[in-house]
Amino acid sequence: MTAPVVTRGTRQDPTRDPDAPDNRQGGKGRRHGRSRAGRTMHGGRITYAVLILISVVSLFPLVWTAIAASRTNTRLAETPPPFWFGGNLFKNMEIAWTDANMGMALLNTTIVAGSIAAGTVVFSTLAGFAFAKLRFRLKNVLLLLVIGTMMVPPQLSVVPLYMLIAKLEWTDQLQAVILPTFVSAFGVFFMRQYLLQALPTELIEAARVDGASSLRVIWHVVFPAARPAMAVLGMLTFVQAWNDFFWPIIALTQAGNPTVQVALTGLGQGHIPDQSVIMAGALLGTLPLLLAFVLFGKQIVGGIMQGAVKG
Amino acid sequence: MARETKTAAPSPGEGAAPPAQGPGAQDPGAAGQRREQRRRDRRSRRYRRDVKWSPYAYVAPFFLFFAAFGLFPLLYTGWAALHRVSLTDPNSMEFVGLHNFTRLWSDEFFWNALQNTVTIGLISTVPQLLMALGLAHLLNYKLRGSMFFRVVALTPYATSVAAATLVFVLLYGRDYGMINWALGTVGIDNIDWHNGTWTSQFAVSSIVIWRWTGYNTLIYLAAMQAIPNDLYESAALDGASRWQQFLHVTLPALRPTILFTCVVSTIGAMQLFGEPLLFGGSATGGPEHEYQTLGLYLYEQGWVNLHLGRASAIAWAMFLLLVLVALVNWLIARRLTKSEGGA
Amino acid sequence: MRFRTRTSRQAVVLAAVAALGAGLLAGCAEDKSDEPGGSSGGGEGGDGGKGKTTLTVGVFGTFGLKEAGLYDAYMKANPDVVIKQTSIERNENYYPQLLTHLGSGSGLADIQAVEVNNIAEVTATQADKLVDLGKAPGVDKDNFLDWKWQQGTAQNGSTIALGTDVGPQGICYRKDLFEKAGLPTDRDEVGKLWAGDWKKYLDVGKQYKAKAPKDSAFVDGAGGVMAAVTGSYEERFYDKDGKVVYKESAAVKEAWDVASAFATEGLTAKLQQFKPSWDQAFSNGRFATISCPAWMLGYIKEKGGDKAEGKWDVAQAPKPSNWGGSFLVVPKAGKNTEEAAKLAAWLTAPEQQAVLFEERGSFPSSTAAYDLPAVKDAKNPYFEGAPIGEIFAKAAEGAPVQILGPKDLIIAQNLADVGMLQVDQKGKSPDEGWKAAVKSIDNALDE
Repeated sequence: MTAPVVTRGTRQDPTRDPDAPDNRQGGKGRRHGRSRAGRTMHGGRITYAVLILISVVSLFPLVWTAIAASRTNTRLAETPPPFWFGGNLFKNMEIAWTDANMGMALLNTTIVAGSIAAGTVVFSTLAGFAFAKLRFRLKNVLLLLVIGTMMVPPQLSVVPLYMLIAKLEWTDQLQAVILPTFVSAFGVFFMRQYLLQALPTELIEAARVDGASSLRVIWHVVFPAARPAMAVLGMLTFVQAWNDFFWPIIALTQAGNPTVQVALTGLGQGHIPDQSVIMAGALLGTLPLLLAFVLFGKQIVGGIMQGAVKG
Repeated sequence: MARETKTAAPSPGEGAAPPAQGPGAQDPGAAGQRREQRRRDRRSRRYRRDVKWSPYAYVAPFFLFFAAFGLFPLLYTGWAALHRVSLTDPNSMEFVGLHNFTRLWSDEFFWNALQNTVTIGLISTVPQLLMALGLAHLLNYKLRGSMFFRVVALTPYATSVAAATLVFVLLYGRDYGMINWALGTVGIDNIDWHNGTWTSQFAVSSIVIWRWTGYNTLIYLAAMQAIPNDLYESAALDGASRWQQFLHVTLPALRPTILFTCVVSTIGAMQLFGEPLLFGGSATGGPEHEYQTLGLYLYEQGWVNLHLGRASAIAWAMFLLLVLVALVNWLIARRLTKSEGGA
Repeated sequence: MRFRTRTSRQAVVLAAVAALGAGLLAGCAEDKSDEPGGSSGGGEGGDGGKGKTTLTVGVFGTFGLKEAGLYDAYMKANPDVVIKQTSIERNENYYPQLLTHLGSGSGLADIQAVEVNNIAEVTATQADKLVDLGKAPGVDKDNFLDWKWQQGTAQNGSTIALGTDVGPQGICYRKDLFEKAGLPTDRDEVGKLWAGDWKKYLDVGKQYKAKAPKDSAFVDGAGGVMAAVTGSYEERFYDKDGKVVYKESAAVKEAWDVASAFATEGLTAKLQQFKPSWDQAFSNGRFATISCPAWMLGYIKEKGGDKAEGKWDVAQAPKPSNWGGSFLVVPKAGKNTEEAAKLAAWLTAPEQQAVLFEERGSFPSSTAAYDLPAVKDAKNPYFEGAPIGEIFAKAAEGAPVQILGPKDLIIAQNLADVGMLQVDQKGKSPDEGWKAAVKSIDNALDE
């Protein structure tokens, strides 16, 4: 999966970057008075036209999911396809809700994604900090190992993992999907890149000279400095965990303890699956995240950009 | 950066204050001094132990989890790749040496899958990153509602592979799909998006592009905004046009970011699995295996044809290929930094 | 500083929303399932709790047990039993998962369904992990079609799988389209058009095409024709000694020839079965006939909806033929094997099979059920009151006892979804399609 990018500064020293405060602004308008050839240029009509077009392309499949979910299967098989909402949305959603165990699935997914996000953020920050700022033996070897882990295809481990889970008698229990993704190599790498530049070494040294224990340093120096990146990592991990489906389908069952994606793939239960019902299920499973995007879109966008720029 | 330093600074100060000033030199008396000395020794011993071992404690949770849920399966799969194992009885393994790997070498389905993976990887990654770059450039202008555009561009990212693919399957329907209907209005005959080689590969790629372009746009946009303004100013003074500024200022500054997105996208493309699986609804990846990727072929061998040993060998082959790609990328990156340093 | 406060406020709001959402959802979830996570806690928990036993049934696709009200009836008669069902839509996803679960002895439902194309592999490789149902109380061998019973019996003589339904076939056809093409519409006359030979079915197709309404084809796709023809032979992919013979078998040869003739003559709507566009085509009259195992009737009704009501009818197939059917097994690793075996016996008893036929159209594998009025006199209003009990009973009686093999599913799937699909949808020659299918099957079967 694609994931956020930690940008290294080009040439300038990050701590002395005169432009840095401006980055914090994220999406807000820039107050700079000086003329800036690259950025203060106003967008022309074509710019807007292109952006609107892109927005339509971005939103259309989602809107159409809702349209399809509000129709009947028969209507979906007509030309031209429907462009506006029909009256079956709630009926289809209800079928999807009851048949796919969707209520339980949403609750479970919230728990699973929340736990994974929390675990990943905490452990990645700790490890990222160690790799970025501390000296210890085997550091480079271990770091290389972390990066290597990112390349392991997730399909690789399913069988042995399943046997492990079965030995532990965890099948159909949430920890079976939480623990295997509780830490992430990407997260460690991400936090390392961030802290490398966001956390001045002098600061740690100063705290150390003052006699602070390393736990104190973590709590009072590292966590505050890492907070923006932690927020981004948490968000990214949450979304990814919410949408993960390959492993949960094998580890969980629909009637027992499904996540949303498990419930979605099993939507045909008891039915000859109806496209409109499937769409309603897809909509139900996506809605919480969409809602979050509508409510906190600004913060999420700001967060991603903040996490991305370091330098 | 400056602000962060400031916000972070007071906390350790407060935290560390008592031990730093606490038992100062005022304490009179030799006994007190000795006690003080012992305490200091103890503390410094503890301090040294702390400094020495705490890094391991920080990385330990990651590696513990990784060992249990990452390394063990990885090694186990490597071991399984040397055996004949069937999903009907995963516990009985018959050692066959490198047979599974040599078999792959002459397995045309494997090469076909590899080729598809590369093709789909290219037609999903290259346009995606180019579009993201262009879009980021546009969003970098001063705009009304720029935040709206950014959020909207990112929205597909919130959609799961499963949900997105289910919708696209309908949109790409041959007889009743929205896309063919739209093409029909401009006089283009129905296209068989599910069975044509190029059309199906394009359709699968388009799902990837749709989900990830906005995300990469934000990454590029962030990097663009970090470019110091003086660079543009001096370029403008030298009489560089907008396009020249883009070429000579923006692009070089974005090089590390672009490189990184390429790596991450390459890894994603190599592992592409959910989209083709759900697009075709089966592990075959189309009647002629047109969009059967390596991930899908692995799945077909292991979970449809039940050859776990062979699937394990494919998994390891994928792993090794990724390592190879990373190595090449690293070499290129080193070349680039060198040439940059020379310039 | 500003940033910090902002993030923390965001975090608070986010947390509040998450908590609220979770609370709401928890409420809804509890409404729905009586004991959330109860099944994960295992049977013991269920036993201990209120003296209730929770039994889970794992099925694929449209199995119909729940929809026919059978679980409810059983729970009513046995108030201390709670039945839950877990379903995976496609057997090709369901079956590997079942094997994984059986291999590790965990994650299994108390009763699991097995499709006929997998039953040979299950009896050959998993028999030691499954309960011998042949001796379970309430199971009577004489109730079942003999061959169905044999298919569920392992080499060691234990009957580990009880038959649910079988798939005797008719041909469903659209009367309105037949009329427009100048063909008879009465089901007996239609049956006579092609009686006795699949090639006659092809000939009728050609006649149909000559005068067919625009945008309509004679059959949905070549794959369905192939499955139907193959199903009318005893020896399909394996011979009696368990050797793979699909390359030479008469069944496959005829099926391949007839089906590819349908494709090359342009008699198909180029649809792949069980894909969304196939679903959609039902209501639009895109094709006039389809090979119709009993379970297909429910499909047509759901997919055709109101729009196609009264337009479909069902006639006898050219030759008696069988396509599909399923079994129930009870894994030994389950927590309530005894109770599960009882339930499995009950679900496959003649009376319940008759209900399943009445409600869902799955044709009983229990011969004892054939004489029950619910089966014998069954008529289907959606199909103009066609006497489906009579039609399918006749097909079931004449259908050959198929020889099964462990890789039936893989062979059938590759022949249809690789080979025939290339011919039908990509315009490849039958020869090219055949070679591609064989290559794929060889690769899959190679140990």
